[in-house]
Amino acid sequence: MISRNLSDESLGEEISSEQQAPNKNRGELRRTFQGRILRSCIVSFWVMFIAFSLLRISPGDPIRLALGTDATEEAVKVLREKFGLDKPFLVQFYDYFTGALSGNIGVSFFSQRQVNEVISTHLPVTAMIIILSMGAAIFISIPIALSVALSSRSSSKRVFGVSTSISLAIPGFFLALLGLLYFGTVLNWVPAAGYEGEFPKNLKYLWLPALVNCFSLVPILTRVLHSSLMDTLDEEFVETGVIRGVSKIKFYWSYLLRPSLAPTVVLMSYMVGVMIGGTVVMETIFSLPGIGRELIQAVSTRDYAVVQGIILVFGLIVVFVSFVGDLLGYLLDRRVTLS
Amino acid sequence: MTKKQREEGKFDIYCGLSMLSLMLVGGLLVPLLSKYGANEVTADQMMSPSLEHFFGTDLLGRDVFVRVFSAVFIDLGAAFIGVLIPLSVGTVIGTLLGISKNRRIKGVVGSLIDGINAFPFLIFVIALVAFLGAGLGSIIVALSLVNWARYARIARTRAVVINQQGYVEAARTLGYRPTRILFRHIIPNVSSETRAYALSDFIIVIIAVAALSFLGLGVNPPQAEWGGMIKDASNIITLAWWASVFPGLALSWAGISVALISEGLNRRNREGSQR
Repeated sequence: MISRNLSDESLGEEISSEQQAPNKNRGELRRTFQGRILRSCIVSFWVMFIAFSLLRISPGDPIRLALGTDATEEAVKVLREKFGLDKPFLVQFYDYFTGALSGNIGVSFFSQRQVNEVISTHLPVTAMIIILSMGAAIFISIPIALSVALSSRSSSKRVFGVSTSISLAIPGFFLALLGLLYFGTVLNWVPAAGYEGEFPKNLKYLWLPALVNCFSLVPILTRVLHSSLMDTLDEEFVETGVIRGVSKIKFYWSYLLRPSLAPTVVLMSYMVGVMIGGTVVMETIFSLPGIGRELIQAVSTRDYAVVQGIILVFGLIVVFVSFVGDLLGYLLDRRVTLS
Repeated sequence: MTKKQREEGKFDIYCGLSMLSLMLVGGLLVPLLSKYGANEVTADQMMSPSLEHFFGTDLLGRDVFVRVFSAVFIDLGAAFIGVLIPLSVGTVIGTLLGISKNRRIKGVVGSLIDGINAFPFLIFVIALVAFLGAGLGSIIVALSLVNWARYARIARTRAVVINQQGYVEAARTLGYRPTRILFRHIIPNVSSETRAYALSDFIIVIIAVAALSFLGLGVNPPQAEWGGMIKDASNIITLAWWASVFPGLALSWAGISVALISEGLNRRNREGSQR
């Protein structure tokens, strides 16, 4: 239950409703596709509106807060005009909206950096951590879920249930600190500071944050995979596989895992949001130059334009990824019902 | 078998409840009975755990044991309020949305809910706290502003189903007032689902409150708070592991106790629905 609740409430319905539609013809597919696109566009609009309103509805005057108490009236006025905060609310939103559509999501309050420039320089690190942790999570989850689903002992399910819910309750930043203490100081496997951007070299800095980050994903992933494996095991074609005596690898992959993948793929796309949150914390602890650390820095220096830009981009990324995940789940599921 | 399983569910619940109450009792008694104050410099800096200081002392020479327990009600209280407000607001709004007949309102508010839910939870809370100013109050406000949408989405789906149930129709036929039907017949049934979610959400929120303090957006020093204590001691973790490990263990203890209760209740509900 936790798994479903944690990730997204609609996840459960969507998976089940998509699994219950056996004969999907082309027209239906297109209609679903168009509906999903339309919904994503509307949600993206709200995401923009919320990100935009943050700066305008905050109780204090953000400009005054950013400049500190000893700022002159003149400086406040200049900055206010520069960011268009003196115009009416709807005009501001129109400017912001059209600007965002053409890729301009603001300028930093203090440095002259464009916010999208800040994001594009730091996004690769964050993306790399998320991809690594998702990969690690899949790698760890599949054997666990398979062995629990195939085990005939009821005690293994019991241990599985309790340990997944307990491991969800351990905060990632605490695990990260312990990991840093053990692997960094005792074993000296992790460099204390610094970062190199190129691909094979940066693994040295990223493996521990990614590993810690994946611990928030593994319990959820194994639970969903386990329950969809249990559903698959009830299907008749699994018996056929046993009777036909296909090889072990083929049996595990084509008869068990592939038919169970659709819910997992949809779940993974929903979990990107949670992963982003975890990555912010990891980047701060391991001092990695990702967007998360940039966000925390912008928050502490009160560079609200950067904060606004970063949450806009993250919101849009989540909308996009869950759109892709929905579609992938849909397509995977269609193949299953056809075969 | 069924009886045994139900008892196992019970075991989880009792385990979690006793862990939680042990912590609450500690949070109540330790600051009262201890000879040290939570913010009092009692000994040398960074003394290792001993009979004098069970969890050692921190960078400023404060007793970690007392600080860990005097943070119990700060952390759990903030998380509790941070779950309670969105639970009630989200349940009512979601239910109204589910039984509303106005398509336009349903569409607009529904997509607003999706929009709020689209933001990564922790990021959105961080950004809101940034705009509201650091502190426990703004954390609770931010949590409420973000989380009500998740409850509303659950409540909406559930309310659509409940609204078509026979007993709601019966209440309508009897001519009860709509508010009575809403609060006596629909919301109690919708909230059974949102309350179940609230329990697992409580774990996430406990961790989020501590994570925000860890990132420097939480309570103001010198108030003892687990996330803040871990943050303060993280720089000296190689010299004094106890100053950050014990608050971390307390945080995990709280999370695990709630997780056990939630797991036990789920097992029991599953058992109930199977019979």
